[in-house]
Amino acid sequence: MSALLDIRNLHVTFGAGPDAVQAVRGVTLKVAEGESYGIVGESGSGKSTVLRAICGLAPTSEGSILLGGSELTSPRRADFYRRVQMVFQDPYASLHPRHTVDRVLSEPLAIHGFTDREARVEQALTDVGLGPSFRFRYPHQLSGGQRQRVAVARALILEPRVLLLDEPTSALDASIQAEVLNLLDRLRTERGLTYVMVSHDLAVVAHMCDRLMVMQHGQAVEELTRGALRARAATTDYTRQLLTASHGYTKAAS
Amino acid sequence: MSALLTVEDLRITFPTRQGPSEVVRGVSFTLGRERLGIVGESGSGKSQTGRALLGLTPPPGTATAKRLEFDGIDLRSASPKQWRALRGGRMSMVMQDPKFSLNPVMTIGRQIMEALAFHGRSSRAEKKARAMAMLEAVQIRDPERVFRAYPHELSGGMGQRAMIAMMLVTEPDLLIADEPTSALDVTVQIEVLRILDALVTDRGMGLIFISHDLRLVASFCDRVLVMYAGRVVEELKASELDRAQHPYTQGLMNCLPKIDNDTRPLPTMTRDASWAL
Repeated sequence: MSALLDIRNLHVTFGAGPDAVQAVRGVTLKVAEGESYGIVGESGSGKSTVLRAICGLAPTSEGSILLGGSELTSPRRADFYRRVQMVFQDPYASLHPRHTVDRVLSEPLAIHGFTDREARVEQALTDVGLGPSFRFRYPHQLSGGQRQRVAVARALILEPRVLLLDEPTSALDASIQAEVLNLLDRLRTERGLTYVMVSHDLAVVAHMCDRLMVMQHGQAVEELTRGALRARAATTDYTRQLLTASHGYTKAAS
Repeated sequence: MSALLTVEDLRITFPTRQGPSEVVRGVSFTLGRERLGIVGESGSGKSQTGRALLGLTPPPGTATAKRLEFDGIDLRSASPKQWRALRGGRMSMVMQDPKFSLNPVMTIGRQIMEALAFHGRSSRAEKKARAMAMLEAVQIRDPERVFRAYPHELSGGMGQRAMIAMMLVTEPDLLIADEPTSALDVTVQIEVLRILDALVTDRGMGLIFISHDLRLVASFCDRVLVMYAGRVVEELKASELDRAQHPYTQGLMNCLPKIDNDTRPLPTMTRDASWAL
């Protein structure tokens, strides 16, 4: 199986001179078509920056990103966004407060010259389990879970092949998180989508992804499969620490 | 076990255009020198409960109770002067995000010393010594630097430790921690909890730990109150959480993804209207 997304030795540096911050330092990963790939790490580990670099939202200072075998250009071309879309962490911040759901969903369609927008908007809302009655609401009239569903609908309305998920449930309550994860799982099975999902929660990534990478200080610490994670076959101390921490509080020092 | 804090029928009401809205509806519990967890999802009234215990219900909200007693003091009729002596002195609160609850234009050291100056008299040198000792107690490796640092110069975990140091330096009897570790990374989270745990055990404090994370609360506290729509729907020992009776508690437990088992789709909660009654 050839890799759909191929990232080779990616470096991302912000700023220049003595204040330069190397957010990502040499990350290499391959994601096959239809696969679900997770990136886990703590804040500042550079996991979100990797996603943003794929989208062209963060500058690539070294290395290359290939999609379907061809290297991506900067700035990204319009057809890139037809194939790759992103869902952001905070649904309270990522939706325009003064645009209705209809406007949020129609705008990408207008940009990419889609016809029968009306039907597509309604279909997208139905697909994420909201229904057409939500079409003319504003974000403040929706709950957190509903907003995140709108954000997923917005990403999916262009029928992309790859979905980049940046902590899609960390701003949501546990019971709502379960609903959104189920939705993402169902959409992937139905449409054969490829996911790259970033999260700080090992359990969420283990549930959603076949393979995952653990990141720390901008570097990949370890790459392992879901099976290896379940078997606790982590080879580095850092991954083991994360595994212990994900079980909750323990009295004795680990 | 003598009760440190007794709460009976606590109600918090906010006026809205549609008439008064009761966000906490008759919460009762007693607290000894133990770790009590309050768990619930957003809007369940858990944070408002914590704030009301310190008389910090934001106006125009009002808190009423049949009984609200801290160590024999009736908090309902406490004067502003009594409140000032209690808050920060005998009962204090750690908030969620150190970024918003530390004074950005004051060094950490001055903020800790201010707390000491407010509650009791001591010399400057003595205050500094106590502040430094406290910073060491919350396992800050370089207390000298942190003492002189401004909040923006610290990481989230450091800031939260400094906040805990400030709240504990007056040696309170009761600490209310409102999501003290939610803004922190998992590994840092465990360290901060260890510090809290040690301090509660060594000093015999009472701790109210408010969180949305049932798994964390269950592993950290002795007893758990589960809140839903302003009410305590279930109270149980943390060790017996897997024997929870209420469907809401069970739902909260089940809907979390687990590393070891692959339930797909995840069980979701069907909220019964009768839970909110």
